[in-house]
Amino acid sequence: MNAPKPAVPPVVLKAALAIFVFILVPAVLSWIGGGYLFQVATTALIFIILAASLNLVTGTAGLLSLGHAGFYGIGAYTAALLSTRFGLPCVVTLPLAGVAAGAIGVLVALPTMRLISIYFAVATLGVGEMIYVILLNWTGFTHGPMGIRGIPPIDLLGWRPGIPLFDYLVVAAVTAFSVWALSRLMHSYYGNALRAVREDDQCADAMGLNVVRLKIETFGISCFFAGVAGGLYCHTAGFISPDQFRFSESINILAMVVVGGLGSLPGAVIGALLLIILPEALRGFGDFRMVAIGSIMFLSILLRPRGLLGEVSALDLMRRQFGEAWKGGAATRVGWR
Amino acid sequence: MTPAQARGPTDARGDQRLLEISGVTRVFSGLTALKAVTTHVAANELVGLIGPNGAGKTTLFNLISGFIAPTEGEIRFDGRSLSGMKPHRIARLGIGRTFQNLRILPNMTVFDNVSIGALAAFGQTPWQALAGGGGAVSRGISELTRDVLDQVALSDAAGVLAANLSYGRRKYLEIARALATRPKLLILDEPAAGLNDTETGELASFIAGLVRKGMTVLLVEHRMSLVMSICQRVIVLASGVKIADADPATVQRDPAVLESYLGTGE
Repeated sequence: MNAPKPAVPPVVLKAALAIFVFILVPAVLSWIGGGYLFQVATTALIFIILAASLNLVTGTAGLLSLGHAGFYGIGAYTAALLSTRFGLPCVVTLPLAGVAAGAIGVLVALPTMRLISIYFAVATLGVGEMIYVILLNWTGFTHGPMGIRGIPPIDLLGWRPGIPLFDYLVVAAVTAFSVWALSRLMHSYYGNALRAVREDDQCADAMGLNVVRLKIETFGISCFFAGVAGGLYCHTAGFISPDQFRFSESINILAMVVVGGLGSLPGAVIGALLLIILPEALRGFGDFRMVAIGSIMFLSILLRPRGLLGEVSALDLMRRQFGEAWKGGAATRVGWR
Repeated sequence: MTPAQARGPTDARGDQRLLEISGVTRVFSGLTALKAVTTHVAANELVGLIGPNGAGKTTLFNLISGFIAPTEGEIRFDGRSLSGMKPHRIARLGIGRTFQNLRILPNMTVFDNVSIGALAAFGQTPWQALAGGGGAVSRGISELTRDVLDQVALSDAAGVLAANLSYGRRKYLEIARALATRPKLLILDEPAAGLNDTETGELASFIAGLVRKGMTVLLVEHRMSLVMSICQRVIVLASGVKIADADPATVQRDPAVLESYLGTGE
């Protein structure tokens, strides 16, 4: 809020970013002529939304969520079912994907937000797996492990050119909007309240902040954007199945946030780009690339505990949260506040 | 001040009672930390709370700010019972507090630390944040924050990360954050702990200055010099029981106090 004036005026920076994302990247990709490259770029944009939204809840508010992929899946399935069964257009399916994931996020948050952070993390892990199991086994509704096929591509009020460039541009616009909204939230006094919850929630409470409500709101907002990302994914991929929304994907998103730096929005964006584009770029190395990516994450935690741009060290946050769980103090029942 | 305050009972001297503690007992798994403590703080009074370690001072503070609930008895503030109220509700009613072990928010700037208190006073919804800060609310928060930073002479450090602030200034940061909630009653938990004599003297005059400007202060302190020099009234706790409640001169002569505290302590 009270930061010193940056060297480059923000307007120039934003304009440069917009030109890069909306003109330069699609131009180069069209010139190379890669439908596949467009697919990678679109996936990277979707994961930017996922990482940025997880960053709000885990980086800014300090609530470790291990079930983000579950809410991503709820969004994907909501949009997929709405468009395949009722033929609804994207203007309807995308917001509803967000609303469904956000609403379920709030329902999950209501009973779990009084849990001390590390227990909350375990609870979200459980919820993520529950969502996966429901997607897998509620065959009548979700087609189970077969997944949903033939999801119509992105349309703009019924107009559906079906070329990769169009998908890319729509996804880029939604990503830009999401990142803008998350940035507004993080870089406001409201964001400060969330940081206070991360740093010391009892202290925030004593300052008059309704900590439980703040946590529930943030979690709901974060899940909303994960749901929107899921909606974008199902329309661009055309096919979804439960195993795309498993725990490993939650960890993948968390890794993006940690590598980029907890609490930093540019960090989350860069983290998402790194962890999506790097595996693709290293495809030539075969299975060795997974070792390379693992090493990058391991080294980044060791050498740059704050990630690339983070405002808080991931190790510190974990240490504090684990510590919190063993502390007696004002907590009368173990694990609860 | 407020109509609610006008409703409050008055004591023998005709002062309005801002905080009323009646028969408060707190038992921690069989151990009685506070036993039937009855006392009060009048509006615009500066009251000191002293006692040896384990006397129940911090327990009383945590009861007042709602972190723990009394086993028996009732605490009333500004004419309202605080029973069953969550800490953030109590803070919004007008009780601002600091903590014994400084609890600044280290990875945030001084300005942002203080803005937390101001934020609670104004409130900002996520929708207002999305709309670009909610205009008037945002301006109100930053004005109040700057105002309070001026009061504690931290304006020059507004952009500094709180973790990089010197120990003495962190004390003022905590007080500033509590002041930004616009409290009617400020409760300070050992504000002079870890400060040298010069710093303690400065803090004493700062607190006395707040009271002159109309603030009501209840402070827990170990340093007798601070309590005796500025407090109008001193409450002494020993083993969870109130053993004295009078002006500093009387308390210093009280045989019970001398025996349980002054005799063993300094």
